[in-house]
Amino acid sequence: MLNFAPTQEQEEIRQLAQSLAMEQVRPQGRSAEQQGDISPALMKTLTQTGLTTPFPEEYGGSGVVEAVTYTLIAEELGFGDGALAMNIIGSLMGPLTVLLAGDKSQQQHYITPFSDASRGHLQRGSLGFAERTGGYYVTEISATIRTEGEQYILNGSKRDVIHGGQSSPRVVLVRLEGTSGTEGLCALMVPLDIAGARVSHDEGKLGLIAAPSAAYTFENTPVSATCMLGQPGGSGVLRAAALYNILRAGVACGTARAALDYAMDYARGRIAFGRPIVSYQGIAFMVAEMAMKLDAARLLTWRAATSWDRGTGCETLVQEGEAAQYQAIKIAKSATIDAIQILGGAGFIQDHPAEMWMRNAAAME
Amino acid sequence: MIDFTLSELQQAARDYAHQVALEEMRPISLECDRTEKIPDSFMWNMQRRFWAGAAGQARTQAQEGEEKQDNILSILSQEEMAWGDAALSTAIPGPGLAAPPILSQGTPEQQAKFLGPYMDGQLHWGALALTEPGIGSDVAGMSTTAVLEGDEWVLNGYKHYITNGARSDLVVTFATIDKSLGREGIRPFVVPRGTPGFVVGRIEEKMGLRASQTAELIFENCRIPKDHLLSGRESSKKAGFKAAMGTLDATRPMVGALAVGIARAAHEKTCQWVQEELPKGFSVYKRREIELELDEMGQELEMARFLVWRAAWMADRRIPNSKEASMCKAYAGGLVMKVTSAGVRISAPGENSESRQFLQKWFRDAKVFDIFEGTAQIQRLVIARRLFPEVDIP
Repeated sequence: MLNFAPTQEQEEIRQLAQSLAMEQVRPQGRSAEQQGDISPALMKTLTQTGLTTPFPEEYGGSGVVEAVTYTLIAEELGFGDGALAMNIIGSLMGPLTVLLAGDKSQQQHYITPFSDASRGHLQRGSLGFAERTGGYYVTEISATIRTEGEQYILNGSKRDVIHGGQSSPRVVLVRLEGTSGTEGLCALMVPLDIAGARVSHDEGKLGLIAAPSAAYTFENTPVSATCMLGQPGGSGVLRAAALYNILRAGVACGTARAALDYAMDYARGRIAFGRPIVSYQGIAFMVAEMAMKLDAARLLTWRAATSWDRGTGCETLVQEGEAAQYQAIKIAKSATIDAIQILGGAGFIQDHPAEMWMRNAAAME
Repeated sequence: MIDFTLSELQQAARDYAHQVALEEMRPISLECDRTEKIPDSFMWNMQRRFWAGAAGQARTQAQEGEEKQDNILSILSQEEMAWGDAALSTAIPGPGLAAPPILSQGTPEQQAKFLGPYMDGQLHWGALALTEPGIGSDVAGMSTTAVLEGDEWVLNGYKHYITNGARSDLVVTFATIDKSLGREGIRPFVVPRGTPGFVVGRIEEKMGLRASQTAELIFENCRIPKDHLLSGRESSKKAGFKAAMGTLDATRPMVGALAVGIARAAHEKTCQWVQEELPKGFSVYKRREIELELDEMGQELEMARFLVWRAAWMADRRIPNSKEASMCKAYAGGLVMKVTSAGVRISAPGENSESRQFLQKWFRDAKVFDIFEGTAQIQRLVIARRLFPEVDIP
């Protein structure tokens, strides 16, 4: 039955995430960009709240991930700072993919360290999804594996893998040779210090600088069969891919909302010709447009998240996640660009975060 | 809990309306558009179908003991109706747009008196008269006047663009009782057909929604009984204006739903045209480009629908929804133009098939959804004013 209100519990979690985003994440956005990573202190604070450990309690987590709840969290983190939000979620997708696709012993081994009270906040995972030949679409995954004795032979590329250079688990999405579409998808953990694997750390990025990333090239890279998470072609892999897109959409909605909110404050306070600039329809209509499109994209994102929680069929789920991230990133880009326009000259200056947010939004694709 | 799935009752309402749209509307849609006429048989069929439908729905709702969801049920069926034919959907017998102000502003006695006669199983319509030649969105500048003389109100003025204006048994007419009060002097009056001094002027010829009747109404010393002022909540000085505006908060999601219905029809038809009628010789690249464009519009269609659902859901829960109602109307109104014009463009190289005639009709029908119930610009103004309550945005 149609309903557009989060539960009481979700609302409380969202508020917690929002206050952390405003008090801790937002103020560190610019310095994190200069450092090129999240500060261990901030990560520790977040880990202590349980927001970054949505794992089963048997692995020390704060409770198993729900897409709607975590989408609300992702939006708030993105509202704080898009790059830091992607830093956190990029890492989280490593253990979450193990949770969704892996077997019991893999889960135990790879997830538990993230919940460790003293060292968990230093742990980084990664999920390689997009490639040099495409975007965040399952059908565009063309990295392949084929079986050769006790191991797989891996070929293909991955790009913009957040924490990709220094993570454990380091998961990449690949497909069994000869498959296409949503068939034959696998989540494979790859060591990088092996023959045929080339890693390059991304440098001089446009945006998401506070989320360090790397690209991989695999040429006939041999990977042990034990690195496969669960069974090849399992539905957990597709659910992980869909979840990543839903959460990326959440972060994008948060980035758009940050830009909208910032532009609204500016438009309210900035006086031109004796009136706040928002009293001119040229500005007011831009703001209305941003708000309307953001709400539209958020609803699309929420729908995908509810489908994920309901266990909707993978084909539909994957499609809904892809639509959500496409539309949410689209509004994140246009809202951040419009925010700069509303700020005028100030928008171009790095005293204001709008330009950083615009670069972050553009780097999400 | 956030949920995008329909309850059984909601799904049943949607399915029922879809069946009606498919069986009663689509088959006569093009012909009614050409002739600007609707056969009586359609009117009677709709009377019969909706009588049964509404009664069944009320029963189920009572059985399931579900919370109030008139707005949701209404927009779910509106989308299906407009998918069938938006012009025909405006002609479905019933009090139509006259109902919301009577229900929200009328006393129980007035509701029984004015809405009761619609229950007799015969063909009756109702209309709402707000727009004048000199005013559209700015209803505060209304020039139709109402003066109390003894036991009667005397109305003078012109109204135009009134849907079903010439076939309605009664017209809820907004008029000012004191121009110096601006929008606060506006009141809703019920004017029955046949009242001396109330005449129907010309019937408009339109680019789209051609089967829908759009009339000019003239009031010349038109006298109606004193109790035809909808005065249930006259304690508030703003009652009349609020009736007009409150009506919009409920009807904008409905207009949004109609726009989504047309957009969906056009999107489906265009996809089907590409599958079945795309001329041979189209390059794969060109075809792929069209498919991508249609994919993206499919996503936008879903977003428009969700915005409409949300606004209606808020209305049912009595959560103030002006901003959300305007958002869904603005988004859907813009989208229906985008989708229908893409349909005409994409199908341009084809034969003059029935698919193309439908696409061209929907393109003509679509434009008004960016205009009536508040233009695209007015919607953005409403949204901005809600976002900045403390700023005066003229």
